[in-house]
Amino acid sequence: MTDQSRRQFFKRVGVASGALLLTNEGARAASDPRMRIGSLIDLSLCDGCKADAIPACVSACKEKNQARFPEPQKPIQPYWPRKQYEDWSNERDRIDRLTPYNWTFVEHLQVDGQEIHVPRRCMHCDNPACLNLCPFGTIGKSDTGAVYIDPEFCMGGAKCRDVCPWGIPQRQAGVGLYLKLAPKLGGGGTMYKCDGCADLQAKGKEPACATKCPKNAITFAPMDEIKRLAADRAREINGYMYGLKEGGGTGTVYVSPIPFEKINAAIMAQKNDNNDKRPGRPHMNPNTPDKMEDASTWMMASLIAPIAGVAAAAINVYKSNKGEKK
Amino acid sequence: MKKITRQSLSNRIVHALTATSIFALFFTGFGQMPVYKRYMLTEVPGFAWAGDYSITLWWHYFFGVILIGVGMYHVVYHLMRKEFDIIPKRGDLKDSWLVIKAMISGKEEPPSEKYLPEQRLGYAFIAFWIVVMVLTGIIKAIKNVNGYNFGPEVLFWAAHIHNLGFFMLILGVAGHLAAFLFKPNRQLLPGMLWGKVCACYVKFRHSLWEKGKNEADKVLSKLGGEDEACKDFKH
Repeated sequence: MTDQSRRQFFKRVGVASGALLLTNEGARAASDPRMRIGSLIDLSLCDGCKADAIPACVSACKEKNQARFPEPQKPIQPYWPRKQYEDWSNERDRIDRLTPYNWTFVEHLQVDGQEIHVPRRCMHCDNPACLNLCPFGTIGKSDTGAVYIDPEFCMGGAKCRDVCPWGIPQRQAGVGLYLKLAPKLGGGGTMYKCDGCADLQAKGKEPACATKCPKNAITFAPMDEIKRLAADRAREINGYMYGLKEGGGTGTVYVSPIPFEKINAAIMAQKNDNNDKRPGRPHMNPNTPDKMEDASTWMMASLIAPIAGVAAAAINVYKSNKGEKK
Repeated sequence: MKKITRQSLSNRIVHALTATSIFALFFTGFGQMPVYKRYMLTEVPGFAWAGDYSITLWWHYFFGVILIGVGMYHVVYHLMRKEFDIIPKRGDLKDSWLVIKAMISGKEEPPSEKYLPEQRLGYAFIAFWIVVMVLTGIIKAIKNVNGYNFGPEVLFWAAHIHNLGFFMLILGVAGHLAAFLFKPNRQLLPGMLWGKVCACYVKFRHSLWEKGKNEADKVLSKLGGEDEACKDFKH
């Protein structure tokens, strides 16, 4: 897709999103595949901005979201009866993983003597487990398919991280609604992650990471276009794709000259060597299952159950009436 | 044998399945909150699975489906048989107070139909919240399917009403079980477990229950009449 046609597309999306908001049809549009914007991350182009102290996508993301980073109330209480809590507020400059203060980062890896850089952030799943399973319904999806957390109502239980196939959202304690309810007993802060610059997408603009990438390694476009671009690029470099099927399908497609099994093994090995057990460095396992794959079966069962109940009742009443007559 | 049938096999199965599924739904539903790991239930031998959301969700769905099926069976079965004994009646609130007051004070309580007035109110309360839970639960089940998106307001309210319903149902079930703190009510337990209650109890407490009273009279007449058969009966 040329830059011009991409700009035209985002302009169209902006107009359409505005119209949808006015007509309160946003919820319907969220499931309209024509509105879906995806992204392509080309690992053959990304060099991790080696010459710079911070990769451009990371600094652009930080700059754009600075005002939304948490300012916790201290001292922070542990998660009773546990003795720990999650506090990243003293590590705001950390860029080697996802944190509440760093919503995208770049993995620097050596695979078979080759250097590879992998920008990581939320994959914006087609059917996000985090959104579906948040017990407080505080995760939403924009008209363009960007998955976002509402920080006003998030309780910070971190279930979204537990159910996310990649453990993406990160928690900051000492901030959020839980402080006003029962801070010692329930909740644990607020969860933070990339929201796909949903506000920019709604205005027909590209997310900050893509705008600032000097190598054009990150591309946002309609999902169909992204799929086509990714397939073409993978063919061109005789490479591999990640994100189309993983986790049940996502809005982010990686293209790499190196197989993702090897990239994943390198991430795991690096974490293992450094005894890195802290959250925020997602795997890249090509066998990442869809955590919501049973949902349609259970929905059907929930809809069939009342029919089965009616049938059983009718049969039983008929039998008992027959018995009473005898 | 001084017993008469109070609950049919169908009613007892419905009650048992409803109770089992509601308790299982309480446990698995509460497990959808991030609490079992935090409060170390997962460290109790045999409960490690409780911290796995995919397992608790599977069982939550499973018991949800049972509850929906059984609930629908219950409604249709009684509608078809035109059995409405458990539906609240005008004045139930006042009569409930009179029955409870009598149980506390030990004085004579007003006669009841098949169900006590507070049982009818309790049923309505629990049934109402079950319906709320089923409806919000179905919305949640549908939205979990790829391609369905109700929008953030619907998700937010479905989640919070479902959570509120959880506490209301716990309240309802606690109230239901608290009824057995009163000794006179304990006579009703075998009725729901094995189907039968003492004919003397029916004559004494449920004298407005026409069918039960007639059956009790038949049973007691074979034992020398109510006065003779029930002379040792203590309420």
